Amino acid sequence: MILLEPHNYIIQTTLAEKASQPSALDVQFVDFDGVRFRLTTPDRKVPTALVLSMSIGCWEELVRYGVLDIFKREYGSALRAEPEFGYNVSLDLNLEQFPPEGEQRDAYIKSLAMLKRNALAAPFERSFQAQRQLEAAGSGQGELMALHYRDEEVIYVQAAADRVTVIFSTMFREETDRVFGKVFLQEFVDARRLPTIQSAPQVLYTTRVPPLEIRHLQGLNDTEDVGYVTFVLFPRHFAKPDVAEATITHIQLFRDYLHYHIKCSKAYMHSRMRYRVSEFQKVLNRAKTEAAVGDRKTVSGRTMSTR
Amino acid sequence: MSNVLRPYLSAVRSTLTAALTLEDFSSQVVERHNKPEVEVGASKEVLLNPLIISRNENERVLIEPSINSIRLSIKIKQADEIERILCHKFTRFMMQRAESFIVLRRKPVKGYDISFLITNHQTDTMLKHKIVDFIIQFMEEVDKEISEMKLSLNARARVVAESYLAAFNV
Amino acid sequence: MSQLAPIICDNGTGFSKVGFAGNSDPSFVFPTAITTRGPAAQPSRTGPALSSKPSHLASKRGVEDLDFFIGDEAVANAQTPGYGINYPIRHGQIENWDHMERYWEQTIFKYLRAEPEDHYFLLTEPPLNPPENREQTAEIFFESFNIKGLYIAVQAVLALAASWTSGRVTDRTLTGTVIDSGDGVTHVIPCAEGYVIGSAIKHIPIAGRDITQFVLNLLRERGELANVPPEDHLKVAGKIKENYSYVCQDIVKEFRKYDQEPYKYFARYEGEHAATGRKYELDIGYERFLAPEIFFNPEIYSSDFLTPLPEIVDSVIQQSPIDVRRGLYKNIVLSGGSTMFQYFGQRLKRDIKQIVDRRLEASAVASGSQARSSGLDVEVISHKRQRYAVWFGGSLLASLPEFYSSCHTKAQYDEIGPSICRRYQIFGSAT
Repeated sequence: MILLEPHNYIIQTTLAEKASQPSALDVQFVDFDGVRFRLTTPDRKVPTALVLSMSIGCWEELVRYGVLDIFKREYGSALRAEPEFGYNVSLDLNLEQFPPEGEQRDAYIKSLAMLKRNALAAPFERSFQAQRQLEAAGSGQGELMALHYRDEEVIYVQAAADRVTVIFSTMFREETDRVFGKVFLQEFVDARRLPTIQSAPQVLYTTRVPPLEIRHLQGLNDTEDVGYVTFVLFPRHFAKPDVAEATITHIQLFRDYLHYHIKCSKAYMHSRMRYRVSEFQKVLNRAKTEAAVGDRKTVSGRTMSTR
Repeated sequence: MSNVLRPYLSAVRSTLTAALTLEDFSSQVVERHNKPEVEVGASKEVLLNPLIISRNENERVLIEPSINSIRLSIKIKQADEIERILCHKFTRFMMQRAESFIVLRRKPVKGYDISFLITNHQTDTMLKHKIVDFIIQFMEEVDKEISEMKLSLNARARVVAESYLAAFNV
Repeated sequence: MSQLAPIICDNGTGFSKVGFAGNSDPSFVFPTAITTRGPAAQPSRTGPALSSKPSHLASKRGVEDLDFFIGDEAVANAQTPGYGINYPIRHGQIENWDHMERYWEQTIFKYLRAEPEDHYFLLTEPPLNPPENREQTAEIFFESFNIKGLYIAVQAVLALAASWTSGRVTDRTLTGTVIDSGDGVTHVIPCAEGYVIGSAIKHIPIAGRDITQFVLNLLRERGELANVPPEDHLKVAGKIKENYSYVCQDIVKEFRKYDQEPYKYFARYEGEHAATGRKYELDIGYERFLAPEIFFNPEIYSSDFLTPLPEIVDSVIQQSPIDVRRGLYKNIVLSGGSTMFQYFGQRLKRDIKQIVDRRLEASAVASGSQARSSGLDVEVISHKRQRYAVWFGGSLLASLPEFYSSCHTKAQYDEIGPSICRRYQIFGSAT
């Protein structure tokens, strides 16, 4: 698995299972970036009526960027006016009204599993629109939209006449991660030289120094641990609706993708080191003289060990 | 093995072999104790002159002989931040498993990355030249392993970045 | 951002149960299997398949180790050319750390979709797990995944905690005898105040797999399987075991009952062949009560293991320190899928009680009727969460506020190193 999937696996599997066999449930689970979900049947006697709720860190910001419009478009009447207590958004689902089994139902369930993705899509969709208006006007800058999606990390999205700039502030809590992260990010910057991915967005990476677009903001962290990754999206990345959709889905997983791979590399290093250590072990064992006497056992069959 | 490295390693090898003339020696300070003198350091007269073999400012070996034990510490080449982290990770990983590496110390001597402690007991029960072989092979391979890990990290990062960016090409 | 729920990972030999604390069921239950490129590992440990040639050019590209499947997908892809299936856990203990590390990696990122840096983790370990294994686990979780905090709990203790939900349990104690019966093996584990009494643990080589096999044998003998396609045999036997079996109180009476009124007691099983869709049906008879009977009369199934479960439980408790025996008899807790048979608890309780009473009687006689015992309580606790009791116990404990203070945190790990996991703190019990 190289790329992460955009939808939530638990929502997908649970709904698929309940759609064929409704039964009462109440589960809470999470997604990346501190998103919490709850899937319940409020009335145990009516197992076909489910409520799916989501709590997300930067809800106020998302509302400002028009997330409700997106939800109305995607989920229509399922959207509850008053979300469940402790959550930001709730959807009423009726298993009886799910599309018939088959592709249609799978697609519907998948769209529900993309709840988090659709929420985070708000600033991106808005900036794509803004870019279109600015392009018509010929110049100018769109609103700088900040999205505090994690405690210490922020996504900034800003439209300009000819592009949309997306800036991720990244934060590494650990020294190893920081160093690994640097290597990875440097490769992101360099990778574009490859002819096959020339059309990918341009990537810039700086440590400590914030990029020009957000330099005027107050209270930016300027310690060694902080880095800024800038993606420059050109109209070709979002001109067509389906391409725009894919771009949004993909770009918002950037941080998770990066951290996933940092962790995978560490796991890989571990397996290399395990191998190397066992090799060294073999070399050292050659120095041992007597052929091991074999396990000596006590009467009851236990092994004796020497210290 | 590169030609530059060979004299360095052979110097370590002969020094270490020469130093590995250990004998049983009871503590002069505490009755009925028999401890590695190089670690205890309480009786100066049984400690021999420590010796540093240095290849360059970043790579050196410290050999501290004594009557019944010898301590060998290695400073591993670390050219940049990545190698420093990898080296640290690797040595720590090994020291975490020191139990099975009879001659490995759980902590390095200050200023070095990894230390070995060989006692007379170990030279009695194990083949001396094979222990030396082990240490030399360790020195040889640790550099190689670290640079390979660095390469593979870079290669990985590249693949990862390419796969991510390629996904924009719809 | 508010505190996110801790993640509970119960990795067993056969199945892994993973999910979030606070829920009553694990989010995922799938086989502890990983399918990687390269041949399946031989039963004897030959070293990691992947990293055996780390310096070769092929792995220079560096992401081959991401090409693997876990859980159900692993089983589904086991036959794909070029891939091999591996089981990283054997006899409850992790054997292949490379595979296990990657298994966890995908569990977290693909299935749970959690950023491990934001979560606390509760993992489980079998009784008598060597501390080195615990250290290696900590090394993986803290160094590879940077998790916030880690708690490694003993499975038996979690099973005790899970029994607190039963209405019959009044005080939340961590003293008791756990009977944990999964697919491969059954353990009887005594715990005192949250610590396992290692010297008294006993294993019984009879568990779920054997019951299924026994049902199969019975059906074969009666000729019921004649019109069932051979590839469905095991499945049918498994279904009968799970859905129709119960424990009877007296085997002779039960036989008589069945013979007198077969129509009342014989059940009918209808199945459908997965590939052809051909329907078949068969009668279920004595299997219904004979299947779980192998715990109580093992001689009907096995010829080399003959001690009935109640006797094992009794001897385990007798081997434990004398001052906890009362507590161990009073709180015998069931855990695992193979203890789910109806009336299992009652039968076990009755049999153990008989053994205990007989012993008390004998000692009273031996003392010349001078000293009479005041009697001994035997109580077998079965509850609704028995199947995933260990996971549920973890979920329960991790929802307590004390959980966070009992965890080993990342900061502590960085300060002291993996050895912090050698110590572990009991919490949650009312006493």
